[in-house]
Amino acid sequence: MDEKMTQRSVWEKIAAKLSKRSLWMLHYCTGCGAIELPPTMTARFDMERFGINPMVTPRQADILLITGYLSVKTLKRVVLTYEQMQAPKYVVGFGSCTINGGMYWNSYATMKSLDRYIPVETYIAGCMPRPEAIIYSFNELIAKIDRGEANSWKDYYNNYDFYRENQEHTFEGPIETYNDIKADAALFRI
Amino acid sequence: MSKIDEVRDYELFIGPNHPGISGNFSFKMKLQGDKILSAKTDAGYLHRGFEKLMEERLFIQNIAIVCRICVPDPDPNENNYARAIEEIAGIEVPERAKWIRTLVLELSRLASYLFGIGGHVATTGLYAFSNWTIADRDRIMELFEELTGGRVYHIYQLPGGVRRDFPDGFERRVLEVMDYIESRLGDYDDLAINNALFIKRATGIGVITKEQAIKWGVTGPNLRACGVAADVRKDDPYEVYDKVDFEIPTRTEGDAYARTIVRRKEIEQSISIVRQIIDKIPAGPVWNKIPNPLKWKVPAGDAYVRTESSKGEYAYYMVSDGGRNPYRVHVRGASTTHGVHVLENLLAGSRIEDASQIMFSLDACPPEVDR
Amino acid sequence: MEYEKENSIVEMMQMQFPEAAFKVKKERRIEVRLPSARLYDFAVRMQKKWNFLHLSAISCVDWIDDGEFELVYHFWNYDEKVLVMAKIRIPREEEGDSHFETISNLWQPAKFFERDIHEMFGVYFDGSEDMERFILTDWNGPPPMRKDFITREFALNFYHYRDYEPQWLKDMMAAGEGNE
Repeated sequence: MDEKMTQRSVWEKIAAKLSKRSLWMLHYCTGCGAIELPPTMTARFDMERFGINPMVTPRQADILLITGYLSVKTLKRVVLTYEQMQAPKYVVGFGSCTINGGMYWNSYATMKSLDRYIPVETYIAGCMPRPEAIIYSFNELIAKIDRGEANSWKDYYNNYDFYRENQEHTFEGPIETYNDIKADAALFRI
Repeated sequence: MSKIDEVRDYELFIGPNHPGISGNFSFKMKLQGDKILSAKTDAGYLHRGFEKLMEERLFIQNIAIVCRICVPDPDPNENNYARAIEEIAGIEVPERAKWIRTLVLELSRLASYLFGIGGHVATTGLYAFSNWTIADRDRIMELFEELTGGRVYHIYQLPGGVRRDFPDGFERRVLEVMDYIESRLGDYDDLAINNALFIKRATGIGVITKEQAIKWGVTGPNLRACGVAADVRKDDPYEVYDKVDFEIPTRTEGDAYARTIVRRKEIEQSISIVRQIIDKIPAGPVWNKIPNPLKWKVPAGDAYVRTESSKGEYAYYMVSDGGRNPYRVHVRGASTTHGVHVLENLLAGSRIEDASQIMFSLDACPPEVDR
Repeated sequence: MEYEKENSIVEMMQMQFPEAAFKVKKERRIEVRLPSARLYDFAVRMQKKWNFLHLSAISCVDWIDDGEFELVYHFWNYDEKVLVMAKIRIPREEEGDSHFETISNLWQPAKFFERDIHEMFGVYFDGSEDMERFILTDWNGPPPMRKDFITREFALNFYHYRDYEPQWLKDMMAAGEGNE
């Protein structure tokens, strides 16, 4: 398994070099951290020079940016959105609420640790992080893709039962996009 | 029902992931073709249980979380919290601290207005304008970072005063930023406010008459755009608002264009207030120390304090029973009326292409509704 | 004389409601305690005769030791510029909802506040058109703002936290310092 991950074919390396410069971010403001996204996207701390653009539909986005805390009601919609995105996809946890609950650690309505529900690629520390910190972490993500190490999206298919059990413990309701998961896993031969 | 009606009447759910909604909010609408028959809002995506969190922490610990209730305009929260405790416990605030608090409130109001009108104009398709206002608002964020240490959440106003005094040269930098923003107002007018296309798109959208506004509980710039000259800073004065001169701009049409014009004119008034404060601020201490904050008890009592935030009337009702934690804090966000039933009333009868513009022109902020 | 305007308003109201207890707290703030059966008449008079057209908020306080809920109605008058806080008490049920009548046919903003109090405290407002859940749509537990619900215990038991055991924390806890 380790050999398969480190040896990439020439095509995969070229694909990584091209795709790392055109990552599209889903425009979904899930929590209070979203107030620092307009300065990052507009003229002052321009994010578009790295190729990162906001995109409105999850079917055409690569990065899911979870800006801050997630209440249980939003968590259900975020899991649905995550499953609708096409692989390879990257989740960036923004702020200290995704790490261990942050400011709302004793609240009855927010989730405490994001990577029990969906696999997370990188985290940005802060409450809230500055636009320069956001751009720094996007650069780290781009470097990780270039090296071929940004593979946490495969973890969702390998450990699907673990994630599903945690999701069902926290919120009820049918999560319907099971066919998308099977199709994606078959496509990438996982 | 005829076959045409079965095809034409439908329900649409505009969900939380949508660029046409200001934040994490959703509504269900019943439509007939393009016309909206009725709408129902669905909030709660941002619920954190603030009022419960505040009951389980000490009074001094709550100051760190209270600013996160309203995201674009966090300073009225800190001001309300500090003034509620001061009213219950009878604490005096030094004079210089009141002037500094007013300055911070006005700077926050300016930043929020720039964000708000940028958002409204962007829903009509003019994205260059919102790029300009968000970039100019960043100069105010830099001033906040210099004064308090944080760009967005300041944790600066404590019961008894403010946390620290101005750094050296701060007054000069504030006046420079005010001159800069004032010089940009001409460009804003040319690009968007006096632009014939924007006027054509924004007039007649979401009209609220004067009687409807008072009946529905509309407050803030939305109420002033309907012809009622009501402002908490003049009616129920707090801090030093009775010592500075400013006017209350009003319009009578009550549509989306009038609301944006009122906000644009209030930017000028806020700049003038900031200049007067820098001119007249007295010297002195900035904090009356709280004795031993970790074991501090506030005597029993209750208070209802109101502030004029950039979105409307913002109020806190605090009850204390003589212990170390607050017994009950009720937060009345400014958007509890605007974002919920004023929006439902206005959407019924309008068209779906104007729904996004109505929500942004009311400047409804979902975190205040959900707390 | 101090508080002239507020005292004249109190006199006018006291004539109509002799059983209520009025108090002028400071300038522009009047507090009144009413028996709960008289609140609806008071609200009608506030709106129709005395021109208090703005309902600012309805708050609920859980006095668990007295076994009562206290509902506070905040009314504001745009012309006189005075705020009146009307306080009533209703009995608190341990299981199920307490009941009270609604004022949402007089004031539209009351609908939101009454729905909020219903899901947070469990007080049902009879006669209201819409008492559905609003903010806590997937919640199965007790009304969360009641004083017998401790949010810290609930959060520690229900949610998973990340394990974080660095060496400095282990040393501190072995020496008996720190908590949790």
